Amino acid sequence: MSYIDTVSTDVLIIGGGPSGLAASIHLADILKQRGQSKKILLIEKGRSIGSHILSGAIIKPSVFKELLPEVDLSEIPFNAKVTKDSTILLSEKSSIALPFHLPYMSNSGNYTASLGQICRYLAQKAEEKGVEIYTGFAVDEILYKDGKVIGAKTKDTGLDHHGNQLENFQAGTSIEAKLTIFAEGTRGSLTKMLIKKFNLNKDRNEQVFSLGCKELWSVPEGNIEAGRIYHTMGYPLDNDEFGGGFIYGLNDNKVAVGLVVGLDYQDPSFDVHDAFQIWKTSSFVSKILKGGKLVEYGAKTLPEGGHYAIPKLFVDNALIVGDSAGLVAMPALKGIHLAIRSGMLAAQTTADALLNNDTSEKSLQQYEKLINNSAIYKEMYAVRNFRQGLAKGLIIGGLHFGTQLITGGAGFFGRLRSQADYKTTLKVSELKKRPFKERFKGKLEFDKVLTFDKSTDVYHSGVYHDEQQVVHLQINDKENFAAVNIEQYGAPEQFCCSSEVYELHVNKAGQKELRIHAENCMHCKTCDIKSPGKGITWVVPNGGNGPDFLNM
Amino acid sequence: MALTIISLIKQVPLPSEMRMGEDGLMDRTKAKSIINIDCQFGMEAGLQLKKQYPDARLIVCSMGPGSFETSLRTAISMGYDEAFLLSDRKLAGSDTYATGLAISTMLKHLGFTKDSKEPFIILAGRQTSDGDTAHVPSQVAENIGIPQATFVESVKPDGSGNVIAKRIIEGGYQMLKLPFPCVISLTPTGIPPRKPSLSGAIKARTLKITTFGIDDIGLGTEKIGINGSPTIVAKVVNIISERPPITMSVGHNEAALVDSLISNFKKGGNVLEKKEKADKKEIERPDFPEKDFREGARGILTWAEVTNGKISRPSLELLTPARNLALQLGIDTKVMTVVIGKNVQPLAQTLIEHGSDEVILVENDKLEEYLVLPFSSIFAQVIKARNPEIALFAATTSGRELAPRIGMKTDSGVTADCTGLEIGEYVDKKEKVIYKPILESRRPTYGESKLATILGFVCPQISTARAGTFEVPKLIEGRKGIISVFSPVLNDKDFVVEILKTERGEGGLQNLFSADIIISGGRGTLADNLGLIKTLAEALKSQGVNAEWASSRPVVDEGIVEYARQVGQTGKTIRPKIYIAVGVSGAIQHIAGMKESEKIIAIDHNPKAHIFHYADFGIVGEYADIIPELIERVKAGYKFGIEAKKNL
Repeated sequence: MSYIDTVSTDVLIIGGGPSGLAASIHLADILKQRGQSKKILLIEKGRSIGSHILSGAIIKPSVFKELLPEVDLSEIPFNAKVTKDSTILLSEKSSIALPFHLPYMSNSGNYTASLGQICRYLAQKAEEKGVEIYTGFAVDEILYKDGKVIGAKTKDTGLDHHGNQLENFQAGTSIEAKLTIFAEGTRGSLTKMLIKKFNLNKDRNEQVFSLGCKELWSVPEGNIEAGRIYHTMGYPLDNDEFGGGFIYGLNDNKVAVGLVVGLDYQDPSFDVHDAFQIWKTSSFVSKILKGGKLVEYGAKTLPEGGHYAIPKLFVDNALIVGDSAGLVAMPALKGIHLAIRSGMLAAQTTADALLNNDTSEKSLQQYEKLINNSAIYKEMYAVRNFRQGLAKGLIIGGLHFGTQLITGGAGFFGRLRSQADYKTTLKVSELKKRPFKERFKGKLEFDKVLTFDKSTDVYHSGVYHDEQQVVHLQINDKENFAAVNIEQYGAPEQFCCSSEVYELHVNKAGQKELRIHAENCMHCKTCDIKSPGKGITWVVPNGGNGPDFLNM
Repeated sequence: MALTIISLIKQVPLPSEMRMGEDGLMDRTKAKSIINIDCQFGMEAGLQLKKQYPDARLIVCSMGPGSFETSLRTAISMGYDEAFLLSDRKLAGSDTYATGLAISTMLKHLGFTKDSKEPFIILAGRQTSDGDTAHVPSQVAENIGIPQATFVESVKPDGSGNVIAKRIIEGGYQMLKLPFPCVISLTPTGIPPRKPSLSGAIKARTLKITTFGIDDIGLGTEKIGINGSPTIVAKVVNIISERPPITMSVGHNEAALVDSLISNFKKGGNVLEKKEKADKKEIERPDFPEKDFREGARGILTWAEVTNGKISRPSLELLTPARNLALQLGIDTKVMTVVIGKNVQPLAQTLIEHGSDEVILVENDKLEEYLVLPFSSIFAQVIKARNPEIALFAATTSGRELAPRIGMKTDSGVTADCTGLEIGEYVDKKEKVIYKPILESRRPTYGESKLATILGFVCPQISTARAGTFEVPKLIEGRKGIISVFSPVLNDKDFVVEILKTERGEGGLQNLFSADIIISGGRGTLADNLGLIKTLAEALKSQGVNAEWASSRPVVDEGIVEYARQVGQTGKTIRPKIYIAVGVSGAIQHIAGMKESEKIIAIDHNPKAHIFHYADFGIVGEYADIIPELIERVKAGYKFGIEAKKNL
């Protein structure tokens, strides 16, 4: 059965998040205006649109007016409009509201939202405009011809753990496209290959990431008003750990809470999920959640290397958009409007390229020009050194950010370099500070009322993976993994993972083994980013696998 | 002469995906719909057949609301060519009889009759997860008048126009050769359904699904829908769990976890807090006239299934409800038992001593092994001659295909897999009559969470009784009864299906019913092919404990363990003193077979495993770590408090 199915399309969009959907919508609109008819195919690996979408989320609505000029904003399923926005300096028992907003952190006029809901809405709009959306298909191979991208191929299914074909083997479908838009989201697995193949991050900073763990709660009336939002700094993070919490009051007595932590932390035993649980026990947060119930859990990473970490976003016949492109504005961690805008600019570029029948790199260079002339550039350039500054620790970083404000983003040093997150993890023996478990001794017993262990949280994500497939979390250097990652680093994968995929099993004889429970995987890709020595590669599992977020 | 492969599918809610709403109740609105799992295996079997018949036309059919189109499109995306949906409001409330009738009428309308010139094969799932009756495939086969094989694990063409089906039977399997056209129902075994392909999904997007109403296929309303169905669901009540909350073991390694288990076990675990139930008010019985709808039908007919020259245990169990019903119906009600086979006369006295009043012998050399076509024909003839009011079958794989095929011949409905059979009455408020006496067949449904009472209004009222539910009645030595001989008309056409091989292992493994401890390995123990499970059982045996090992369905499906050791709804229902489930996820069908155990210990690496909801004691851990530890303890003399027996 070596027969390969092939389908063809004018435009292939890989990923059904805000950037991919925006690209499809805007492209369909432009083509319609020009009276052109082109096939637009959008493929999403989640079971449905929104299944793999997670965000805070606070959304700047203005970009939707541009994307959907014919639509009244009230039609878009935002949640509550932001009524009051405070930044809280948090400690375990106390909280101080900062009397001012940090620059670039103001949220007046913005909306809270479930980004999954927004995406479902956008998908509906896209389909109305003639975009063909297929969900539950994983794309795991870029197709090339003469060294140029000519499309992509969906994953073969019906393989056993070793990759042997089973009787129900179904060959993937090759999708030949005049132009492919990579909209895979954060740390896209194909985008990663594309960047590597064409060396697209040459002379750019390494991309750095944060991991955000989020829970959606239902709380008693009166705990928090809809539209009331808080961002917290401080507890439980140390000064050298970059990040903070968020609390967004939603309609119907729901509240979204989460903690976002930069993955450049040094402690190999640091655990963002557990830190998030500890954060909830602070008197300020626990008061808001009191009497409530966990509804959903999820996690995702965010690229936050900023301006200097954006790779080259175009090659012959292909463009990169949204989180895959690293388009997230610091320090507010806002990427949705940038994702949508980048999708629209990619659409504009694509439409012109199709019109001129020229999808070459030269033609697609227009995309970069459009970005540089857009609000994306202005937003990201102004804060281009923010994250790198913070990598030096919150206090120095804060100072540095201050000078950036004065110097218009340049800071003292022009361009700060950042190093990849997997390099910042220290060996157990190198760590000078108290390891995570000691720092929070006595706080890591989760009561399953306010705080939850990873398994319980994972249960609230709807996650599912087919049993019959090659394990999608691959140990790259099997020979040395135990000696290095387990022995020297203490198997940090078990801690950095947001969802109990990795378990360090020690038997009675003291032998250690890292067990991989791939079925729990939240598709956040933290292990791919953070495992020391690039220990783990995340490859896309079967389509339809992964979490099934409803309102994240 | 291109072959047509027809797949019958049903769309069902996915129980495992139902989420708990904030009020603590199941949020059914968010439950996703899927193609019934067994049907998916039927679909895959069709796609596999296509490998041998590359020219075959693959069509998929369903009956249900318009929303079922989603599943039909999924079938297209997996590789099917055409889709047909029978959708009509008038079909709402149809029971299995009416469903079988409607689907076969649609198929006949499409040109698939027993006299079709072009060969075809109908593939269906064994049963649906929201109905669990396994009736429809048999009923469709009977209606079209073609051979069938149900509970089939695999189906392969033999290269000369036949298919070879591997059918599960009690204690083993059978290889059957069937000609085209035929109906095959697939168990969820062997080859799991493939994933849709993108090219298929693109095709499915625009493919026209042909939708029929009942008028389009020339089906009248007399025998369908809620009014035309021969059976109704009279009552549904919740099944309340009788098991206290689980006690989980704690510890950081296997030794500590096992210590914790032993200590918890000694303490006895949690105790169920009994809540006082409010007395329900007696509903006043209206003053309607009573109606006896039996029209002279009298007596209870049962089938004594013969395996390996003996009456099978479930058939003996059947005599318990039969006698009980006879008692409720009145002293002159006879229990008649049909035995079909070769040289089966010596079995008659056993049946009488277990409670039959009359044994009806049907003996013929051609009838040595069960075959659904001649057996159903014989039963139809016996029923015509004796006119019983009730016919009971054990819900074995044979009973569950035989009963619905007979029911189709007698226009009776069938109630599947009952756990309770009583005589009662039915107050029909519309007609203002009270039907009395009537058979109340009770069966668990909706994933064993509810108990439904089903009534049939056509005699004989047919039910199958779940094996292991009723005790084998006490043998009364010297009990007297009549032995009579019945000579049916046998039709050669009923012998077109050939039995190539019958394989029964270990005599149906009767000792599973008497063991004190049963260690059961699930899918999670496939890594060593249940090696550790067997070792633990052996260790207990050498300590003098009456222990045995068993498995859950996926392990049997994998072909690692013979069917006789399968515990669960489609396997054995057992009630040992201690049931140790290892690597068993706890599918509801498995729970059905073991939930009556006195104490249940669950060991699984997945803390979310459903099995923990049904166990008294639990360990979360890898079985490969925990079981060796347990084996060591047993070797050192630990016996779970079970007394050793001598001479084992």
